[in-house]
Amino acid sequence: MKFFGLVVLLLILSFILQEFIPVFDWAFGSRLLLVHAVFLAASIAVPFPTMLTMAMATGLAWDARYHIPIYPAEAAMGTFVQSEIPFGFTIFIFGIMGALIQGVRPLFKRGRWELPVFMIGLCTGLGLLLEYLIISFHRGGLETSPELWWKMLMTAMFSSLVSPFLLLLLSRAADRMRYRIRMEGLKRRHTYDGDAL
Amino acid sequence: MSRLNIIFLITFVGLLIWITLFQPEAIGKIQRGAMVALRPFMKASNQLDGAVATLGSETLSPAEVREKLAAVEQERDRLKLEVIQLDEILTENNQLRNALQYLEKSPLSLVAARVISRKPTNWYNTLVIDKGELDGIKVDSPVIVPLGEEAGLVGKVSEVIAPHSAVVLLLTDEMCQVSAKLENSQEQGILSGQRGALRKLPSLRLRYLSKEAEATPGAKVFSSGTGELFPANLLLGEVNSVKIGIIDAEANVKPSVNFDDLVDVFIILPSESAQAAPESIPVKPVTPP
Repeated sequence: MKFFGLVVLLLILSFILQEFIPVFDWAFGSRLLLVHAVFLAASIAVPFPTMLTMAMATGLAWDARYHIPIYPAEAAMGTFVQSEIPFGFTIFIFGIMGALIQGVRPLFKRGRWELPVFMIGLCTGLGLLLEYLIISFHRGGLETSPELWWKMLMTAMFSSLVSPFLLLLLSRAADRMRYRIRMEGLKRRHTYDGDAL
Repeated sequence: MSRLNIIFLITFVGLLIWITLFQPEAIGKIQRGAMVALRPFMKASNQLDGAVATLGSETLSPAEVREKLAAVEQERDRLKLEVIQLDEILTENNQLRNALQYLEKSPLSLVAARVISRKPTNWYNTLVIDKGELDGIKVDSPVIVPLGEEAGLVGKVSEVIAPHSAVVLLLTDEMCQVSAKLENSQEQGILSGQRGALRKLPSLRLRYLSKEAEATPGAKVFSSGTGELFPANLLLGEVNSVKIGIIDAEANVKPSVNFDDLVDVFIILPSESAQAAPESIPVKPVTPP
């Protein structure tokens, strides 16, 4: 329970710190998405239902702060009233990213962080790509440029760079709070022939 | 997958669908709450940015003096803009009354605002200002800054998120489209920014120009006022280069406003008459007496 409290505290803190993180012009307008990094690092350490609850709360808070209602051209004709990226879409992205990263929980438990670190960057980049694709779908025409790819790559890289520190913090906290990362859902209860073990 | 996981997954999907169906009013309430909670940190962050920017400068005046100076500068800029606007309105009135027999345009009223957060979202070029609902700010209100003797367009209000906060969509964003005209020419087109908030590419695109358009590099680009959203004669930028296509031409335009240095901006409020009857915003012809 203490560990979950710490995770919530970290997420709140990340929202505050996110306000102070600058946009790097030299990195094509990319920045460190600390909230994403904290969410993904925490998702490795918590069970699936907790991850979904975190995705709901974090995504909602992110959209409450950063969602911009930009309406596609159809809105002017009264046929479409939902903004390009709908409010709540970040919850969906966090849910998908969290589900993906849960796959590397066994590695994290064993103290192997290479793949979790890579996955945190990859998931951040994929989330951005998904948002961009939605925008492009609404506006028509997939406009890509080297700068666009660099922006996504740099943002993903910033997340990857900060993630070892977050994983270390969570790992140490888990040890100190006697929180055990369980592997529910990984036990093989049946043989491949369908017989119970 | 365990039963608990399935229950949570179904609940998650259900809540997600419910949230995406929220009406704008409900979203507004949630965003207002977030803005109230995070506003102190946004302001602190902006002050920190300012402090870092001034770090290393030769003289640092005391905070009170800086505050007073900023207020005086803001007032001076506001008056300067009013003079510009009044000059334009006067000229326009004369033109409309004498030559075209149009009614005079509604006078513009300005509200000064300070930028409290300039960090764009992932894909939109935006900034947050310290004026909102209680200051009379409306969605789509044009945002300008004085540029010498002219007024430069910064963008438009995209969302009023709190009693004293609003989001401005910058001219450099693809979704901020302005009806524009070339200096000393009747040539008109649509000016827009780029997709994706890639700050390394701040140039704008002036599209749908005719192939015969005399868009020489250095020519100024102004708002034409025909789109009804932005007033005429706001400075938008200067032509960098022109690309002639098969059926039309497109100019690459360098914005006149330095979006990284924005501190104080001005919002053009809709006039009372315009609020009462939006269709009366554009000039309309009247029969001669």
